[in-house]
Amino acid sequence: MPHDVTMPQLGMAQDAGRIVAWLKAAGDPVAKGDPLFEVETDKATMEVEAQAAGFLTGIVASEGDDVPVGQVIAQISESAEADSPALAPSAPTTPHESDALPDGKQITMPQLGMAQDSGQMVGWLVELGTKVGPDDLLFEVETDKATMEVPAGASGYLAATLAQAGEDVAVGAPVAILTADAPDSPVARSAADAAPGTPPAPMADVAEPEAAPATAAAAPPAKAPVTAEGGRILASPKARRLALEQGLDLSRLVKSSHPQPYHVADLEVLRSLPDDTAPRTATAQASRRLTARIKRAGLEAFLDWAQSQGVENRDAALAGLLGMGHAETLAIERMGRAECFAIARRLSQVAPSERAPELILRDLRGSFVQDVELGAEDVPVLTLLPKGKGLTLVLECAADHISAPGALDLLNTVAGRLEQPLRHLQ
Amino acid sequence: MREITLSQAVNEAIAEEMRRDPTVFLMGEDVAEAGTPFKVLSGLVEEFGTERVLDTPISEPGFVGMAVGAAMTGARPIVDLMFGDFIYLVMDQLCNQAAKQHYMSGGKLTVPMVLRTNMGATRRSAAQHSQSLQAIVAHIPGLKVAMPSSAYEAKGLMKTAIRDNNPVVIFEDKLMYQDKAPVPEEEYLIPFGEAHVKREGSDITLIGTSSMVQVAEKAAEMLAAEGISAEVIDPRTIVPLDEATLLASVKKTSRAIVIDEGHQSYGATAEIASRLNEKAFYHLDAPVLRMGAMDVPVPFSPALEDITVPTAEQVVENARKLCAGEMIHAA
Amino acid sequence: MTKTNTEDYLRMYTQMVRIRTFEDNANQLYLSAKMPGLTHMYSGEEAVAVGICEALTDDDRITSTHRGHGHCVAKGAEFKEMFCELLGKAEGYCRGKGGSMHIADQSHGNLGANAIVGGSMGIATGSALRAKLQGSDDVTVCFFGDGATAQGLMYEVMNMAALWRLPVIYACENNGYSEYTKTEEIAAGSITARAEAFGIESHQVDGQDVLAVNELTQKLVERARKGEGPFFLELMTYRYHGHHVGDINREYYRSKDEEKDWKENRDPIIRFRAWLVEQGIATEDEIEAINAAIEKDATEAVAYAEAAPYPDVSEVDMHVFAA
Repeated sequence: MPHDVTMPQLGMAQDAGRIVAWLKAAGDPVAKGDPLFEVETDKATMEVEAQAAGFLTGIVASEGDDVPVGQVIAQISESAEADSPALAPSAPTTPHESDALPDGKQITMPQLGMAQDSGQMVGWLVELGTKVGPDDLLFEVETDKATMEVPAGASGYLAATLAQAGEDVAVGAPVAILTADAPDSPVARSAADAAPGTPPAPMADVAEPEAAPATAAAAPPAKAPVTAEGGRILASPKARRLALEQGLDLSRLVKSSHPQPYHVADLEVLRSLPDDTAPRTATAQASRRLTARIKRAGLEAFLDWAQSQGVENRDAALAGLLGMGHAETLAIERMGRAECFAIARRLSQVAPSERAPELILRDLRGSFVQDVELGAEDVPVLTLLPKGKGLTLVLECAADHISAPGALDLLNTVAGRLEQPLRHLQ
Repeated sequence: MREITLSQAVNEAIAEEMRRDPTVFLMGEDVAEAGTPFKVLSGLVEEFGTERVLDTPISEPGFVGMAVGAAMTGARPIVDLMFGDFIYLVMDQLCNQAAKQHYMSGGKLTVPMVLRTNMGATRRSAAQHSQSLQAIVAHIPGLKVAMPSSAYEAKGLMKTAIRDNNPVVIFEDKLMYQDKAPVPEEEYLIPFGEAHVKREGSDITLIGTSSMVQVAEKAAEMLAAEGISAEVIDPRTIVPLDEATLLASVKKTSRAIVIDEGHQSYGATAEIASRLNEKAFYHLDAPVLRMGAMDVPVPFSPALEDITVPTAEQVVENARKLCAGEMIHAA
Repeated sequence: MTKTNTEDYLRMYTQMVRIRTFEDNANQLYLSAKMPGLTHMYSGEEAVAVGICEALTDDDRITSTHRGHGHCVAKGAEFKEMFCELLGKAEGYCRGKGGSMHIADQSHGNLGANAIVGGSMGIATGSALRAKLQGSDDVTVCFFGDGATAQGLMYEVMNMAALWRLPVIYACENNGYSEYTKTEEIAAGSITARAEAFGIESHQVDGQDVLAVNELTQKLVERARKGEGPFFLELMTYRYHGHHVGDINREYYRSKDEEKDWKENRDPIIRFRAWLVEQGIATEDEIEAINAAIEKDATEAVAYAEAAPYPDVSEVDMHVFAA
């Protein structure tokens, strides 16, 4: 098998080398260790030794060529005749001759700002091959400052586009060619096709569109103001979150001249503001009522288990089970008596609290009540009722307490926990 | 329960582990007969001999490097670095060698060693014997960092550190060596990465490390008198950090102050505060505050040195503002 | 000539050729841009690593350097896992997390190559301290270059090693150059005298003579096992390549004639090969067969490593901490 001769990586930050000279000719016999060719990098010139014995064949890089590191430049074969035509040079870096550019006026990327060195081609506004006049908008360019449409600046047929949408093109680099006659085969190319380092072909009559008359659109529009009042409301992340969840409008506090920034405590003030809008009143009065049916056994087993784990207060265990993740405080109401618990991450840490409940569980398991429809109260209320051998769980809340999907989710989760409590604790 | 000093607690922990595991040994400057300048290790050489309690020359990189090599080949060295400030002398051995061996070897080598050193200002020792450099060590992946806040923590964390299979740096507060705390007679270990809720509260969370746990507890007392309920949490290890306990507390109280005796800028307080900010943002009703030592070399004069370290009064003042919804640092 | 000696000699020759062959292949991987990063070639210094490691057992430890492929091979590593490590593959000795500068087969007592010049002197001395404390008779060899003699750590640990009579051998591979600077420009006085100042027995030896290195090391290892350490060796040797693979323009610090002289007249493999033939230990044909087998082994290992998978991205935060 022939051994590939590649351009070696010689320096730490080197990506190409220039072949200064071949020290062997095609067909010459070489021994391992023979100097094969001389390479020049930015740092040094050195002789590269053959890494195999055989005959030098298939040379595809000539003296003076810059070759990327790792590219095959020749082979060492078992015979001098094995010059392999199959060894194709790497992908050409110059455009194919076949789609040569038409002669005509070259349109270049305009300079739009003082410190701008390139523009991004947003898109062509004229189809390839179309005839345009000097004032016709030809393409759209975006810089860091603005987006603008660029007029052709000359008459002619759009015979070639040299950049595609999304490409960055250096200021002054050609982006299109206008011809006097309709082109037979218009050319569409990417800016990436341009040979690196190759200056634009010298062409007569270069037309550079003026920036001034261009239809300059202002910089991208600013984001819509946060509130209709203009100006941002200063509020803590938690106050904002609770306001959002509870359908409270912080801008009403602004209107009432309540001083910013707003914290959770200010939401009380907000709730106490008189309802001043008819639609809001209507929503506030709307209430939701949802019902779930569950088995009874799981709950009893859970409370026994909790007790075995050292949670003596069965209501604390129940509050912890239902409240976790939904409320910071939950009150359990039974026959007119209510006790509020602060919910904690661990059941053993759920403890009685003086704070106002965020959620109420009305436990009517021991009662004769079969169903409730009491309407929304200050906070969402869950009611647990006996139903044959099982239980019914009803959620009632105001529409602005919880959204409809939120209410469904809450009831569904809580019902799931009541039916299979131990699974939820894993 | 009996009460012993932090110094005795450290001594007991090391003695118990040396009795339990013959591969544990102690090395450092003046650790044997002298028992260190703080007399923390007094008596160990009498029990374990100079083979297992080695006095070294004043060559910190040398003996820390040797501890790394001993640890990599089957011993469990405890290295005593007389002052935390000398960490700078051993950075290559600690951060390039000890911290990275396990990773660089694809998990094949381990470095079970303990570097015990100290921290804390206000001992009138000036800029090169007063620093609290835990953040510098905590920044390096592969090192664990424990910060005991009392004799109880000092003993339990030291025993865990000695049994850990990674390099562990323990920072003891120099001012606390003679502080007593209840320490059980029977054996116990304190797992790494488990914060201790020292006091429960509902209005604000005070997170303090090492010396600053006492400051936080004192502040909480003062705040209680004003009707502000402060929760005090001691993370006990800053690597690994018990994020869950800190987040749960802050979600409950909506406010937090993080207090640590290292310099405030780019410090341990910044790391903890930003985790709370990232993971509990929508539960925060006030900005999370950092309180570290001033960004100055520790001065000698008592008149200057004392104002460089956070105090309970400053914590109270900040807590009060946060709970009142006053804007702090608002432009 | 006893049978045992013959095996030892052929093994020493084989190990030296394996190092040279490994380095030639590693160099090719780098030159053809197939290897990430860069590497420091051990070619030319083979007799040092082989002469010393052949005097050690698997229980004896070594610490290695950034120029560590030679120590790794000499201490018993396999080509496949080494090339995998070089290419950052999952089957590498360090699961691709170490690379050329941290390569080591830990199971044969190699405590790792260290990319900090002089960085492993504490580790080696600490390993010897552990041996003494635990009553083990293993010896640790600390490899380092002449450049590392400029690091303060060396004097701290030599002091303690001498004070406590630790079983450690400091092996200074003096290849004449501290990176791109002649050693004589960075080292005042004599290098062995520095160790002697601590009362450490020191020897200078021709590092291109594998037998001389091996015989001296065998004696010192035996003595170190009996508590007569530490010892210091200065091994006079030469690196054929630059400081690293990209260091190609070297004429500003050393001449091509000097390189040619070492390669043609003092090469450890050529010298030892001639001796083996002269002594009738092996024929030219037998030696060619050894060389060919090693070449084949290396070629196969390179192909294996090139085709081997990279570590899964999930491994990125694995092994930060030990369980």
